[in-house]
Amino acid sequence: MLTFEKPTDQTIDAAVVALRKDFGDRAVTSHAVREHHSHGEGMQDSALPDVVVFPETNEEVASIVKLCNQARIPVIAFGTGTSLEGHLKALYGGVCIDLSRMNKILQVNAEDLDCRVQAGVTREQLNVEIRATGLFFPIDPGANASIGGMSATRASGTNAVRYGTMKENILGLTVITPDGRIIKTGTRARKSSAGYDLTRLYIGSEGTLGIITEIQLKLYGVPERISAAVCQFDELPHAVNVVITAMQLGIPMARIELLDEVQMDACIKYSKLEGLQAKPTLFMEFHGTDAYVAEQIEQMKSITVDFGASDYRFADKPEDRTKLWKARHDAYWAGMSYSPGKQAFATDSCVPISRLADCIAAAKAEVDKSGLVCMIVGHVGDGNFHVQITFDPNDAEERARADNVAAKIARIAIEMGGTCTGEHGIGIHKLDALKVEHGEAVDVMRTIKKALDPNNIMNPGKTIPMN
Amino acid sequence: MIETWQQQIKEAAARGGKLTPRGGGTKAFLAPSHAGDAASHVGDMLDTRSHAGIVEYDPKELVIVVKCGTRVADVEKTMVDAGQMLAFEPPHFGEAATIGGLVATGNSGPRRAYAGSVRDFILGAKVIDGKGDHLAFGGKVMKNVAGFDVSRLLTGSFGTFGVITEVAFKCLPLPKAQATRVFEMESANAIEAMNRWYSEADPITATTFVDGKLYVRFAGAEPAVKTAVAKRGGTVLPNDVEWWRDWREQRHSFFATNAEIHRVSCKSTAAALDDAETAIEWGGALRWVHANADNAAKVRYWANRAGGHASIWRGSTSVHANAAQALSESLKQVQTKIKTSFDPYNVFPNLSPVPSGEAAK
Repeated sequence: MLTFEKPTDQTIDAAVVALRKDFGDRAVTSHAVREHHSHGEGMQDSALPDVVVFPETNEEVASIVKLCNQARIPVIAFGTGTSLEGHLKALYGGVCIDLSRMNKILQVNAEDLDCRVQAGVTREQLNVEIRATGLFFPIDPGANASIGGMSATRASGTNAVRYGTMKENILGLTVITPDGRIIKTGTRARKSSAGYDLTRLYIGSEGTLGIITEIQLKLYGVPERISAAVCQFDELPHAVNVVITAMQLGIPMARIELLDEVQMDACIKYSKLEGLQAKPTLFMEFHGTDAYVAEQIEQMKSITVDFGASDYRFADKPEDRTKLWKARHDAYWAGMSYSPGKQAFATDSCVPISRLADCIAAAKAEVDKSGLVCMIVGHVGDGNFHVQITFDPNDAEERARADNVAAKIARIAIEMGGTCTGEHGIGIHKLDALKVEHGEAVDVMRTIKKALDPNNIMNPGKTIPMN
Repeated sequence: MIETWQQQIKEAAARGGKLTPRGGGTKAFLAPSHAGDAASHVGDMLDTRSHAGIVEYDPKELVIVVKCGTRVADVEKTMVDAGQMLAFEPPHFGEAATIGGLVATGNSGPRRAYAGSVRDFILGAKVIDGKGDHLAFGGKVMKNVAGFDVSRLLTGSFGTFGVITEVAFKCLPLPKAQATRVFEMESANAIEAMNRWYSEADPITATTFVDGKLYVRFAGAEPAVKTAVAKRGGTVLPNDVEWWRDWREQRHSFFATNAEIHRVSCKSTAAALDDAETAIEWGGALRWVHANADNAAKVRYWANRAGGHASIWRGSTSVHANAAQALSESLKQVQTKIKTSFDPYNVFPNLSPVPSGEAAK
């Protein structure tokens, strides 16, 4: 069943004329620009929007949405184009709203540890602009994503163990509703109970309930000491068990990331890491006062020694830490260059921490059976890991095998009481898995979607299966 | 039990009846449209206390799954025995407090500003909606972005969506060391200290300023607590566990008043309101104010200026009726649509008066 009736050419033409009138050369129909806005990262399946508009204010976004709602034209919000699950594919054409010109930091309230930004501000831009205040924003998905996109996909990253994900770090939003109204959720205050917690509903709604245009974010003081360390293991299960033990003891690590031997091999080659071997590896980072960090490191060492870990290599200087984490964030690209000519996508399972070792072992067994080149990397402190599966895009059989492995890994996680997606989202690729995971609860999600967006213009075909 | 409730809800829906889910009734004074009258409810009462017990708890999992009618005290006892806690430090407001009520009212205690609120610790929840369907949202994992984040939407929903039947919480280990220090100071200095010390990464887990004294609880690894205490000084608070429990439960003398108590959320650095008896916690972000007919309007005006809002916590009118009044028309419409998505036949209570015709759609 189609979830949306594609607008007619006349409807689109009329909308383009109207948008051109209001936005001039900020309403673009060139093929190159539409192509750029037709996909995210990950799988290269794309479909072009009919027009891309670059608004600069909440009111402009509202006017575009209102026009689209009247004409029943799909609306897709675009930040930096780094989503992974086909969120940006314009399945039914329509209007892509590119928020990159809404890139102002509206307020920084250093003493209150918060700030308000427009949706197009990127996480790196934010951290550069607030550096002088001694504060930072910790959520770091691999890409230099926009804060709006990160909010819409409930993104997280390597710091989630300590600082949480987007959902814990957003105090309030400005949202353009599908009928073109501008609403503010939450308040400036850290705690609000005025009615339902709408902020939580919009975070992670993947552009299907409204367009997030402003975000009030929590900020954190840059810790007195930051210490990064790497240690290596002969066997993957040992590394995983270290993580499980550390979490159960409540060691407040800022980051703890696992790379398997294949991923490590790729990263060593791609990021030119020296003095490390292609072995299962943990990247760790500790934040706090001098005393606190020293205590955490001692605790970790006492755990890792039991599992036969190598000596720690520390990176305390900012430039050394940056190099280390850049290598971690570039894991996907390292994987891509590891197998030239191939494509890759990543699974996103998340399981209860005590099942992590079993789940990774089961995933690894599936990988071995498939004969495909796969690598494992994960935010293992949260029970979340990715298997990057590479395949030849011109070989249908290999592609099918890759899909099969991914589906099996998702099912294993769900059977272990986990989820098919810890941070990437549903998009178009995991609609079936959502049904498996949530069953009848999807009906309520669909009812909410229909209630808030009765014409189904907001990013149609994504996130919630409509049939 | 679940089947009985499902049946009851379906029957109510069919005949246009009303039901109000209710646990121990300890927070009934906060319930929408029934402030101050602990006994009242809309239509028939659906007593959740019979659905009690811990469904799943293996401390190694860092997750506890609990039925709605389980007493909060029992859950916390079990967790403390295993060296863990509900880190948002929920107030009970009575021994009878249940897990369902805790989530439905969405209140967090002194640790909230430092560890997170109730919703931050909810990994998943089950609910019977207004059609009688028993639904599961979220799960047992630390991160889940599959679909809309409904389990967190249930926090503070006051039973208006349905009966919360089961909740999975993230557990955290108890801190290894804890110490509370007391500092005599003016409110302005206390607000400054609360904010600055926290931003300087002291291992603070609670702050309260009341009666001219600032109480700061440091907790975490032993060396970190020792360092912080040595740096900040102050006088030792003996029996600090009891003190914080009494504060959390509002058994402190500040709350023993006939005045109306307003609860004000505001920016943490907002200056104190001078001419009303005030207590400050959560690093400055939460203020409790003694209000009366003369200064209530002023408290509200001040709260707005301080970037937040005031609601009546104990007094003559419902906190949520008040909060809802402050919502814009657009927000109210969105709220009503969500309520209707869960409860199309309007079986359960409403947070605010439903515009006529809306609920029947």
